Amino acid sequence: MSGAVSISVREVSKSFRRFPALHGVSLEFEAGRMHGIIGPEGSGKTTLLRIMLGLLVPAQGRVEYFADGRPADFEALRPSLAYMPQTQSLYPDLSIDEHLEFFRDLYSLPREIYARKREELLGVTRLAGFVDRPAGQLSGGMYKKLGLMCALLRSPRVLVLDEPTTGVDPISRRELWELLYRLLDENVLILVTTAYLDEAERCSKVHLVELGRVVASGEPRRLLESEGARSFDELFIRRAAASAP
Amino acid sequence: MSAPAVETRDLVVRYGDFTAVDHISFSVAPGEVFGFLGANGAGKTTTIRVLCGLLRPSAGFVRVAGRGYEDGERAIKAKVGYMSQKFTLYNDLTVAENLDFIAGLRKLDPGYYARRRRELLELISFQKGLDARVQDLSGGTKQQVSLAAALLHDPEIVFLDEPTAGVTPAGRERFWRLIRLVAGQGKTVFVTTHYMDEAEQCGRIGLMRDGRLVALDSPAGLKKSVFPEPVFEFDPLRSLSSSELSAYAAHEAFAFFESYGPRFHAAAAGPEAWARWAPELGKTFRIRPIAPSLEDVFVRVVEGRR
Amino acid sequence: MTFSWRRAAAVARKEWFHIRRDPFTLALALVLPLVMILVYGYAIDFNIKDVRLAVSDSDRSQASRRLIDTFASSDYFRVHPVASADDAVRDVAAERARTALIIPPRFEKDLLAGREGRAQVLIDGADNATVGPVSQYVGAIQTLACRRIAGADLTPSYQLRTRFLFNPELNSRWYVIPGLTVVIMAILSIFLTALTVAREWENGSMELLLSTPVQPIEIIAGKAAPYAALAMLAMAFVYIIARTVFGVPFAGHLWVFGLGCLLFLVAYLAQGLLISVVARQQTIAMQFSMLTGMLPSNLLSGFVFPIANMPAPLRVIASIFPGRYYVELLRGVLLKGVSIDILWPQFVAMAVFATLMIVLSTLRFGRRLP
Repeated sequence: MSGAVSISVREVSKSFRRFPALHGVSLEFEAGRMHGIIGPEGSGKTTLLRIMLGLLVPAQGRVEYFADGRPADFEALRPSLAYMPQTQSLYPDLSIDEHLEFFRDLYSLPREIYARKREELLGVTRLAGFVDRPAGQLSGGMYKKLGLMCALLRSPRVLVLDEPTTGVDPISRRELWELLYRLLDENVLILVTTAYLDEAERCSKVHLVELGRVVASGEPRRLLESEGARSFDELFIRRAAASAP
Repeated sequence: MSAPAVETRDLVVRYGDFTAVDHISFSVAPGEVFGFLGANGAGKTTTIRVLCGLLRPSAGFVRVAGRGYEDGERAIKAKVGYMSQKFTLYNDLTVAENLDFIAGLRKLDPGYYARRRRELLELISFQKGLDARVQDLSGGTKQQVSLAAALLHDPEIVFLDEPTAGVTPAGRERFWRLIRLVAGQGKTVFVTTHYMDEAEQCGRIGLMRDGRLVALDSPAGLKKSVFPEPVFEFDPLRSLSSSELSAYAAHEAFAFFESYGPRFHAAAAGPEAWARWAPELGKTFRIRPIAPSLEDVFVRVVEGRR
Repeated sequence: MTFSWRRAAAVARKEWFHIRRDPFTLALALVLPLVMILVYGYAIDFNIKDVRLAVSDSDRSQASRRLIDTFASSDYFRVHPVASADDAVRDVAAERARTALIIPPRFEKDLLAGREGRAQVLIDGADNATVGPVSQYVGAIQTLACRRIAGADLTPSYQLRTRFLFNPELNSRWYVIPGLTVVIMAILSIFLTALTVAREWENGSMELLLSTPVQPIEIIAGKAAPYAALAMLAMAFVYIIARTVFGVPFAGHLWVFGLGCLLFLVAYLAQGLLISVVARQQTIAMQFSMLTGMLPSNLLSGFVFPIANMPAPLRVIASIFPGRYYVELLRGVLLKGVSIDILWPQFVAMAVFATLMIVLSTLRFGRRLP
């Protein structure tokens, strides 16, 4: 699939036993741009991402996928999707190289392409000297970089990142974003949830989510200006204060 | 002058031939809010373990609330509260059950425990019932209850290891208000965090890299000493390719050049170089002077000068 | 999406890394069967020898001595004289003897007078393992004793000679070891796989795995493969011990044996995987696997209790689990030397069970998160 992928979320709702997670969420994710999904913990961001990746089924509504503007089948698109979950999802006893090889085979990458990609990714992440180290012994930043490498291994058309830099020191954060920037030139749809303002500002469009509902969508700087807030944190704090008894 | 709450001199911790903590010396005054920063693996957690009485150092002098390892680990543990990043509470037990358990472990007098529990729950403005299960609490409330649990035995010092991970911005603000309250009561608070806005709220900050303490000062002091030059924000007027960006990073006009989201922070290399290059740079960027942030400090100190 | 060998192989290779780096699992898989077969093999011996016989001889005649002698000279009994009949009974009650021979005062006199000589043999009925064989021995000795005492040739007009097919000496080890093998390998194989899927759910890696193009059937196949290899290796060790240490014969074809083992192991591995898929938590998976692995193989495989003696519902259940067919297969190949032309029903039954388990695991896998 070489086409640019875009995704439409239409009126998606989802409840879990204890609480409703999403209420009638509708969003458009245009191809080739970086979209930020911003919201406090428990706002439903992760649930939304999981639904879009086919890991959860919405109670109502649906998600539609388009390649080059035409409707596309999700299963056909699956090899072009890449995911970096929020929680730990790698194997502590497998080394970096073993992880890369595992994902290479899951995505049936040809050997030459793999060799090239691997060298490129290891160079940018500066992890080339650690390829034999088990993931369980990597520091927080290195672990996240490995997760990102596994996601980027096969040049995805859609990259979904759930809080990719939370709990990571400022330097590792920058290195992770360096990796991501290269993708922007390649017409990849990037979905990222983040709590960091500078990351939100890199997105061409942000969607604010609170308690399972979309609160606002738009260009990050313009959104902040219209709300008179200096950061999204401040925006949410103000809303929390306004709605508190 | 009261004795320091925490004092170390040439503290060393070795695991085999790997030196996790390499001759660090510092002291923290009572009632101070001390921030501990550094990349993962820099030695922060190891140092905290030593200060909590959990890990005997390989060498060096350690005194926590006037106690050292020669008094036995329990002597230190009695004076110290610890809140780890992964919650210190059992998810399937209620708040009351958790606190009762800790009171039992610490052998607290029942009357004292009842009083203290009431005080602490009031301190954190705990609204839910005591029989609420921990897993049903929101992230922010869980952290506050964890803090209360760490303070139950009225320690002189409390160590918080990334206490606001996964907490909403409002929750983080509330938590730091609590920290200030607790410090106001005369307790020493030792915090590790990756959030620079939280680090700003600390009285002093220690920055660790590769087992060494590479900086130790108040936030303002750090900014002044790490950035003696003027600092500017560079807002690109057009999108730049990655090769252009690498060229700018190595530009002789800058002693420091780092990305901040879509923008950049840069420190001038010197008045002459600056005067020469500023006009041309002004064509590609909108330049305005800013005060350096702690994140700038972190990046410059931990990365080393460029 | 079609089945991809490359993806399944990737899962298998990853699983192999996990196994290699988990010394506990490796030790369990290879050492436990050996230890169990050695310990149980030596400990279980249904042959009865040297049964203690408390003898109370109130007659002290030549006839009575000949009777006692007949018992003593057999390998089965060890004679232990006591003072009186009461003492003999007390010995049996106190388990100092398994059996008692009580000879009344006028034994020889009665014999010579043409009346029946009455002696009494008491057997400890509380020990049901020995009752059967002992009473048989007694019967055999009685015939012998009669001949000796009477001095006459009492050959009956016909003789029934029993010969025990396939296990002529009734070597109980030959009978026990195949059944024991079933029990050990069932528990082991189910346990090995029961944890693996649940572990991935617990440590969070399943979420990422499911977001890739991998299919549940590839995950199942990939995870089963290295454990099947490991279990076959363990089975080979058990076979070697059974042959060399215990001298169990091998009358059949090695390939029939190998195929039967493989099928059996796959069946239980698949059952373990099903448990792992459904349980999603390692602790639950472990308990459930112990339960469903141990009980059917121990109680319903025909190893200890004959299936024919079970009530109908249990017989049906016993026919579902592969344990029973494996016991039959093992006995067939080891002791009887039969081949697939006779054993094909057992093969089919195990294959059906294995397929059912694999299909259920795949269907229940679900690509969705809970």
